[in-house]
Amino acid sequence: MNQVLVKATGVGKAYPKAYLSSDRLRALARLLAGRRDADAQYVVRDIDLCVRRGESIAVIGQNGAGKSTLLKLITGVLTPTSGKVEVSGSVGALLELGAGFHPEYSGRDNVEMAAALHGLSHDELAARMQQIIEFADIGAYIDEPVKHYSSGMVVRLGFAIIASLKPDLLITDEVLAVGDESFQKKCIRWMEEYLKEGGTLLLVTHSMYHAQKLCRHALWLDHGALMQSGDVFEVSQAYLAWHERKQAAIEQRAPDRSGIEFEITDLVVNDSPGNQAVVVDFGGKLVMSSRIRSREGRLPIAMFGIVRADGTPVYGVSTEMDEVGVQRVSDHDFRVEIEFAGLSLLPGSYQVRIHTMDTEGLRLFDTLERGLTVRGESREFGLVRLPHRWNQSSGGHGG
Amino acid sequence: MHKLALATHFIRRELKERYRGSFTGFGWALLQPLLQLAIYAFVFVQIFKARVPGAGAPGYVPFLVVAMWPWIAFSEAIFRSTTAIQDNAALIGKVALPRELLVLAPCAASFLLHGAGFLAILAVLSISGHGIEMVKIPLALLLYVPMFACAFGISLTLAGLQVFVRDLVQIIGQLLTLMMFAAPIFYDRTNLPERFQVLLDLNPFTFYVEGMRNLLLGYGEFPWHGLLIAILVAGLTLAFGLWLFRRLDPHFEDFL
Repeated sequence: MNQVLVKATGVGKAYPKAYLSSDRLRALARLLAGRRDADAQYVVRDIDLCVRRGESIAVIGQNGAGKSTLLKLITGVLTPTSGKVEVSGSVGALLELGAGFHPEYSGRDNVEMAAALHGLSHDELAARMQQIIEFADIGAYIDEPVKHYSSGMVVRLGFAIIASLKPDLLITDEVLAVGDESFQKKCIRWMEEYLKEGGTLLLVTHSMYHAQKLCRHALWLDHGALMQSGDVFEVSQAYLAWHERKQAAIEQRAPDRSGIEFEITDLVVNDSPGNQAVVVDFGGKLVMSSRIRSREGRLPIAMFGIVRADGTPVYGVSTEMDEVGVQRVSDHDFRVEIEFAGLSLLPGSYQVRIHTMDTEGLRLFDTLERGLTVRGESREFGLVRLPHRWNQSSGGHGG
Repeated sequence: MHKLALATHFIRRELKERYRGSFTGFGWALLQPLLQLAIYAFVFVQIFKARVPGAGAPGYVPFLVVAMWPWIAFSEAIFRSTTAIQDNAALIGKVALPRELLVLAPCAASFLLHGAGFLAILAVLSISGHGIEMVKIPLALLLYVPMFACAFGISLTLAGLQVFVRDLVQIIGQLLTLMMFAAPIFYDRTNLPERFQVLLDLNPFTFYVEGMRNLLLGYGEFPWHGLLIAILVAGLTLAFGLWLFRRLDPHFEDFL
């Protein structure tokens, strides 16, 4: 078993009421007397977490779920109200924007301070300064006060410092969301390299794409409590499905959908109804069937599609393209079913969709979507396994 | 070792910040006390015709200087450290660090700057024939040790409390002025009516004033009885400051 870097047991954090000055005085008296705050608001409750060297964990959850607070507890910026956190090894953290920079000082001064905080001597820093400046790539701004930086430049510099320090544990909070495309790619490349070399990563992100790309495990927080933890694909799928359910609940309250001309009433994937994500084995069978309600009783066109979790289309096909008709069940009800035997999608997470179009195939009327996880092990790259054959000339080596 | 390097870094940063953007830079640290001295000399000697009581007494200017400069270091250290935690709120929320160092930096910077200024002024006084006992300067500097401990203890207490009670810094400015006049800085103990003289001993700074005057000017008795008390007071203040600061430290982030 690898060395444990972070061990948190029953960790909770409560913020006291601090709006009125009388509250502050009362809190001060209580703290000096060594008593606990009674009416504090818990933002993180009862979290157990164990991070071993070499692990990569994504922390996901909606805004205000307590993700940042959890990271702050681990880095030691916050002291837990209950439970305890033990950390061994060096920790490099990029918490929110600003990264702990002093706005009045130049980028170079701030790099010096960060280096001192991480226990780097003057000579060690001098040796790395050039490398940091190159990674940050902010040009002459390095000698300007940080208050003149754009938020992207702040993150660039913050990440450059961490990249140069190579801590045992890297903690980043929504950092990738700020940088531009090329810097994001640079960061991701760096983190992949860092993980390959045995680094440990805790990443807060709202992008399931980044979570799945960089992390093997995930932790889903909601209202300060742990909802689910485990394999990144399962947890992120569950999280997305939960979001969809929440969205659906909102939509149901919105104007009734049943007035549409071609309405999709359900999407059954591999015999599983509802709107939860479905798990299919790599190379297995995927059967999707759907019921369509046509207001005027006209024949609809149905289209099935598969997209990758980040929205990249993989495949789409309609009844009209294949010149098959949807089956009429009654005057207004139609049924359509499609089967993909020997599914060639590579393991990962996807979305399946069905759309309805009018008889002429000109207008899109309705869309229904569900999560799909393809489970399995494969070291191939890309989205699908293409049929292939390795051509080997016989007798080339005397065999 | 790591903490020491970090402390050095913060103190350097503090010193740099005070003179950032000024053309004269650190020269100002030496120029400023000299200008201040010229003003005091003019006001007290030329306008108020101040005289130091006693036969063979030193001139009023050296009499004032040896008490005034330690006081400037002491009071500025406390005043600047009071808001140290509040001023670094952005750092405290994002980086884990030993927060005492944030209080230590302004405190130590004040003592370093005004300690250097003090030496410069003593040199000027000595050259202009004011009878400074140069050989006793190292002894006088030893007095800075308990003085710094006392100031750091008070600073830790105030910096911790300031996070919770924001009006503290305003009150401190007033209290420091009061403390200055309640110590025999501008006058001598014997200038006071006898019944007020004992009150001076309640002020922890009185010892340093009288100690400095004895050592550097050979004026008055050395307050031996005060030495022990001063060391004790400094130790207790520092211990209390550290206790209170560490008690409040885990909760700073909640109230900043």
